[in-house]
Amino acid sequence: MRQVARCWPRVLLGALMTLSPLTLGGPAMGQGGPAARGMHGATPFEQQLAMLDAFGLDKRPLQQAPRGVDAVVWAASIPADNALTPERVALGRRLFFEPRLSADGTVACATCHDVTKGFTDHRPVSEGIKDQLGRRNAPTALNAAMLTSQFLDGRSPTLENQARLPIINPIEMGMPDEASAVKALAGDAEYQRLFQRAYGRAVNFDDIARAIAAFERTLMLLESPFDRYLAGEKNAISAEAEKGWVLYNGKARCQTCHPFNLSNPLGSDGRFHNVGVSARHQKFEELATKALELLEKDASIHALDRLALETDMSELGRFMVTRNPTDIGGFRTLQIRNIGVTPPYMHDGSMQTLWDVMDHYNKGGEPNPYLDGGMEPLALSEEEINQVVAFLFTLTDARYAEENQRQMERQQEIARKKRPFRDEAMAFGRRLAFEPVKKEPRP
Amino acid sequence: MYAKRVAIGALLWLGCQTGSGAGQTPRARSERAPTEETVEVKLCDDRTTTTVPKDMPPTRENGQRVADSLMSQWKREHPNQAWEMKVTQSHPTIPPPADNRKVLEGAQRTDQTYALFTERDVLTWERETLKLVQEGARVFHDAEAMEGTIGVSCDMCHPDAANTHPETYPKFQTQLGRVVLLRDMINWCLEHPVKAPRMEPDDPRMRALEAYIIAQRKGVTLEYGKH
Repeated sequence: MRQVARCWPRVLLGALMTLSPLTLGGPAMGQGGPAARGMHGATPFEQQLAMLDAFGLDKRPLQQAPRGVDAVVWAASIPADNALTPERVALGRRLFFEPRLSADGTVACATCHDVTKGFTDHRPVSEGIKDQLGRRNAPTALNAAMLTSQFLDGRSPTLENQARLPIINPIEMGMPDEASAVKALAGDAEYQRLFQRAYGRAVNFDDIARAIAAFERTLMLLESPFDRYLAGEKNAISAEAEKGWVLYNGKARCQTCHPFNLSNPLGSDGRFHNVGVSARHQKFEELATKALELLEKDASIHALDRLALETDMSELGRFMVTRNPTDIGGFRTLQIRNIGVTPPYMHDGSMQTLWDVMDHYNKGGEPNPYLDGGMEPLALSEEEINQVVAFLFTLTDARYAEENQRQMERQQEIARKKRPFRDEAMAFGRRLAFEPVKKEPRP
Repeated sequence: MYAKRVAIGALLWLGCQTGSGAGQTPRARSERAPTEETVEVKLCDDRTTTTVPKDMPPTRENGQRVADSLMSQWKREHPNQAWEMKVTQSHPTIPPPADNRKVLEGAQRTDQTYALFTERDVLTWERETLKLVQEGARVFHDAEAMEGTIGVSCDMCHPDAANTHPETYPKFQTQLGRVVLLRDMINWCLEHPVKAPRMEPDDPRMRALEAYIIAQRKGVTLEYGKH
């Protein structure tokens, strides 16, 4: 899945700004430098696979819930027809890195869900075949198994269903239809053997999606410094981050939509909220009118998929699925796990740093008629924003510790130079949403 | 040096009616007189006592012996008080939290996202609630978890949280001389029979203990102030 695009130069600039400091940051894990970039900017798959092997995810017993997950809830999240087996996971892993599933053999799941980049692509929006850009930011595939719906507008109910769509979306992997995807693999003797072993059948599209989903269920990375802190290791996070955790639950009101517990350890309520990100650049009413006309003719999941990835109607978010006016501009709360290593942020990748994200929420989001009722100015001081951000960087799994440190330094550097979403007059209630912006002298 | 006196109270504040005039009744005889090598442990009736060696290892077995010694004395003097058996039998295990699946039935509100619930929401509520209660059960049965020093844990006087009647708080407790909450009585028991430090009101163990004690009275009518 991919998310927003506007015009080439802007996106390219965004991608460069995102990636280049990483290159300077050092050689680790191969992200960044032109020499290390594979097709569509992805890290070469051999490097990705080497990093994945080092994670040791295959050592975890498949019949047990991942660490940090309630066993009953975990069992309830696995469909009866796709029980986890080593054969299915192995097949899914191979398919995840299989560019032959794309029309021109250049795109695989791992192109946009790059292991070295926290299973995202570190770009505002993703690039598919023929260098086409979508409209939305690629959410991480990590821990996606615990989400209650897939895609940022929740148009897909399960991982199994989600995995089908990018393969045949014209600007992602671009296969003309499901049969073509099957045909691309069916002649391969190794795949014939693997499908037989995993599902006892010949290569078929349903099992391609099932196997990818099975593999994704092994990508549960929930072992962060914060988890050690919760388990009683008081020094696992800094005193600053500890204050951030208190703010997270209190004044900053994060916990309302980003709840954490063993039954739901991702920090997403699975609900859809208009926090005003899309209100910055769209006229909702015009778009919604147009969308209703189109959906009247075809509201299939494939039509939704294309409208979400290829048109301005992407910004309508959940409304496209439900056609319920209160869902206009609403997107599912993103998980907060590994947030430090999955920039840029928001459904359109429009925020480069976690400081930008905090600035956005601090001013109460972007005013619009469909703004979520839970949004209001937070009056967080600069010190408090730093504390929440310090806390957010403790949520990265230990296996991404180096990348997390690099991202923190990189984002700090960017935030020192510019804070485009900062609006203290709004944050502290000196100006209300309906008042015109007055020029305030900046310190 | 006089032997330290400890009141064993958990169970019986309930049993002990607040106006019982404990001071006028003759003391129950201790099995041994306190010496410099022993600690005196007192039941919450403020009369029944026993002594234990100061160097007694604070194991669960020893704790149970202390509690049993006090309880058997108390039962001898109150032959008709079979309350604990009755309550234990009615709540043999942790009852499940309320079944909230009904919120998924029928038409849900679609006009705001916070009022839309999924199976996962309902499962999360159930599991997380049950886990807090289970954690409470663990602490309730574990003297060490409460930092108890003589091996006594809550269940030794309150099997399955019997006779804790959380549904009657807040109420005026004469032994404390003020209106108290359940957590105040838990702290009272921690200091006296369990011989553990008091817990802060937001101590995770205190929150869990309250959760467990309340869960065990599922279905009982709230009647605050009842004695």
